Amino acid sequence: MSVTVEQIDAAAEAAARRRAAIRRYTRHPGFMIGAVGIVLLVLVALFAPWLAPHSPTRTDLMNSLAQPSATYPLGTDQFGRCVLSRLIHGAQVSLQVGFFVVLISLSAGTIIGAVAGYAGGWIERALVAVIDILLAFPSFLLALALVAARGNTLDSIILAVAIAYTPRVAAVMRSVVLTIRPRPFIEASRAIGLTPWKIVLRHVIPNALPPVIVVATVSAATAILAEAGLSFLGLGVQPPTPTWGNVISEGQTAITTNPLISLSAGLCIAFTVVVLNLLGDGLRDTLDPQMRRSTGKLL
Amino acid sequence: MSALLEVEGLRKRFGGGRALFGAARPEVRAVDGISFTLARGETLGLVGETGSGKSTLGRLVLRLIEPSEGRVRFEGQEVTGVSAAALRAMRPRMQMVFQDPYGSLDPRMTAGAIIAEPMTAHGMARAEAARRVAELLGRVGLSPAMAARYPHEFSGGQRQRIGIARAIALDPALVVLDEPVSALDVSVQAQILNLLAEIQARSGVAFLFIAHDLGVVRHVSDRVAVMYLGRIVEMAPRDALYGAPRHPYTVSLLSAVPRPDPAKERNRPRIRPIGEIGSAAALPSGCRFHPRCPRARIVAARGGETVEAAGARLPRPCVEQDPLLAPAGEAAHLAACHFPDEA
Amino acid sequence: MTAAFELRGLTAAVPGEKGAVRLVEEVSLHVRAGETLAVVGESGSGKTVTFTSALGLLPKPGRVIAGEALLEGEDLLKLSPEALRRRRGARIGMVFQDPLTGLNPVFRVGEQIAEVLRAHLPISRREARERAVALLARVQIPDPARRVDDYPHQFSGGMRQRVLIAMAIALGPRVLIADEPTTALDVTVQAQVLDLLGDLRDAEGMAMVLITHDLGVVARQADRVAVMYAGRVVETGTVAEVFAAPRHPYTISLFRSIPDVEAPAGTTLAPIAGSPPDPARRPVGCAFAPRCFAVSDAAGCRSARPLLIGAGHEAACHRQGAAELAA
Repeated sequence: MSVTVEQIDAAAEAAARRRAAIRRYTRHPGFMIGAVGIVLLVLVALFAPWLAPHSPTRTDLMNSLAQPSATYPLGTDQFGRCVLSRLIHGAQVSLQVGFFVVLISLSAGTIIGAVAGYAGGWIERALVAVIDILLAFPSFLLALALVAARGNTLDSIILAVAIAYTPRVAAVMRSVVLTIRPRPFIEASRAIGLTPWKIVLRHVIPNALPPVIVVATVSAATAILAEAGLSFLGLGVQPPTPTWGNVISEGQTAITTNPLISLSAGLCIAFTVVVLNLLGDGLRDTLDPQMRRSTGKLL
Repeated sequence: MSALLEVEGLRKRFGGGRALFGAARPEVRAVDGISFTLARGETLGLVGETGSGKSTLGRLVLRLIEPSEGRVRFEGQEVTGVSAAALRAMRPRMQMVFQDPYGSLDPRMTAGAIIAEPMTAHGMARAEAARRVAELLGRVGLSPAMAARYPHEFSGGQRQRIGIARAIALDPALVVLDEPVSALDVSVQAQILNLLAEIQARSGVAFLFIAHDLGVVRHVSDRVAVMYLGRIVEMAPRDALYGAPRHPYTVSLLSAVPRPDPAKERNRPRIRPIGEIGSAAALPSGCRFHPRCPRARIVAARGGETVEAAGARLPRPCVEQDPLLAPAGEAAHLAACHFPDEA
Repeated sequence: MTAAFELRGLTAAVPGEKGAVRLVEEVSLHVRAGETLAVVGESGSGKTVTFTSALGLLPKPGRVIAGEALLEGEDLLKLSPEALRRRRGARIGMVFQDPLTGLNPVFRVGEQIAEVLRAHLPISRREARERAVALLARVQIPDPARRVDDYPHQFSGGMRQRVLIAMAIALGPRVLIADEPTTALDVTVQAQVLDLLGDLRDAEGMAMVLITHDLGVVARQADRVAVMYAGRVVETGTVAEVFAAPRHPYTISLFRSIPDVEAPAGTTLAPIAGSPPDPARRPVGCAFAPRCFAVSDAAGCRSARPLLIGAGHEAACHRQGAAELAA
């Protein structure tokens, strides 16, 4: 009987705890700005066909390089395509690149880094050697090679950038895991008879994740930059598919007469990078349960 | 009846060999030939100073560290030498409580999840484990409603209760307690000691109780082993050891404890400064206590064959022969000293 | 005879979510030259904060909001930070618990002692070094002329604590504050360090404050004792009086919860239930009331803060007398 009452107490306490956790996020201005910014970008990408005033690929040669007007709020490029529509559709590519790169590099990097850090011995030495080689290899060159080998589709670009970022996540993960491995609760979980895999999955990774998630968020921003860079060089997603990098690249020829084309695409990239960084900082500040302590540790 | 735990000639060496660029690294003999047995339901107190190897011994017994030599048998089964899977299968029966109540609980898990973990890891259904968690929290004096809280929301004493609940969750036959109360305040220490006594009385679990506080060890132990530089130098039933210590190191330890009695403290003879515990990387020859031993100096002054060592003249056996743990006085009283009968 | 060091009504606080959180409240203590005052309490009792506050070392945002800290009659809390810095080290020395963190691992032991000397005295490097050797000898470090050039890691824990003591007494302070100086040390080493502290106090005629949680250390070393609980002094008196007949239920309970090495076999421990209150959530009335065996609503335990009363041997309890009966 009493157990049920206490279970209700426990449930009530858990609910209060969740509310407090949500408050912690909503009270962090950087996190909120970052989160709202990302949500806006995602909405724009999802509803691009409805939001864009024109098709991003429809050419209006009569109006090429038009200045901003009611029909073309940001003007047109040299093929007479609506710049605003291209930017709106370009968000799809950028966000896909950011999202999948983070998904792939975070999962692969986390596992590789955690195994390397926890296992130690020759497993660690081998994995660290691979990580170091990949880190030392210029990531742009790696991406170029992959694109050259697989053709410049969106998948190759995502794969190329993900491979370039996985070792970074893995290196961070491993260094964090090295600080977690000697902590007593890891020994405690060995003492209760957990298998090494369970220890890594249940204790090592959850405790190592906060700094890694921060790195991953920030690398989403650099992944978007990398895609833009590749596209700018003509090695990314092929025109006429609109991406921010393509828009900058195509706007380059008219940079003196219509600077708004490249500039607006550049601002889109900058905005995305900034909100992702704000989100990353916000997560860093709020993810750590030790930070939940309200009173200072003065005593 | 056979013993619950049998430890034979256990040794652990760390380091040794050569570093990458050829500098020889000193070998540390943290545990250097230890044998003892522990009966069901018994508490063996293990005391010693920092560097005596007592924590290493506790971990070797549970094979959380691989021994370099020697064997451990638990409930008649080999612990040393068996596969990792076989060892995991034995874990439910032998558990550990750690010194650091802050560090030994995963900060990202709730108290309930921490206590449930050993049960689910060894195949108990989640619902059953959850029910047991409520019961275990009650048994260690916490409210079942606290299961949803995270470790940082508990005081040090409460955290240690969670660590104890986790250790007894699977009804073990042996719990190694590594300094379980040394991080706690005096008033909380007593709560935990009483809780442990109560758990033992109810379940008949045996304790290997590692501590540096002689008062605490005396309070909880049936038998006490004193460790010095990787060896047990004296082992005896509690009252024999505290009442009539045979090894000069035990004598020094006991006389150094400040007691809450001003009258006695004021009149106590000053302790002869005996220096500090040496390093297990550079063990003295013969008896490892001889550089600090006050008794060796007294015996030498009385005559007999002596040699020059540690800046004094000491009896030859003390410097040249490693004393074995041998009966001294009563049968169950063992001491590793060449002169166990000196006062 | 006036006190070498005296605190009057010291109150220190940190800003909290719901107003200032008082870490220590109205602490009054004094210690005379040649005497040792032990300050006893559990973690969070404010025993350390009391002295860090008095010496202007309380980490921000903590601050002293009331009271005086008199060093030979001069209020330290009224001094400029620079003047206070000059008093610390020179006239009031400090030894802390952890002998490892107190020393900088990359400098030689002798250099660190010399640094203390040269920060306060116009002496040459050479002279400072000579004095460092002499100080190491004073704290009974064997072969000081050689050890002066060693690094801290070449010293054992007890030796490092001796070095820290040498630094604390380098300038001949009138008051030495030792915060848990032997807690991190093994029992045989602890005894040696305590003896050394006692010898130095007698030889120099210093006033000594020994902050500790160990009643055995108090019995051995101190003349008078102040017991702190939840930021306040709850009992004070000579060690002989307090140990022979403790008056505050907290002190009484503390004695009953220590596992003593010489207690008769079969003695059961009587622990104090619960744990000390969070400074931000101290109960109204007596802070010990929720854990007290003698608590009584009629006596005002849950409504009024008890004051220290008594002559010489004082206790802050509404139930004095009754408490001893219950014991």
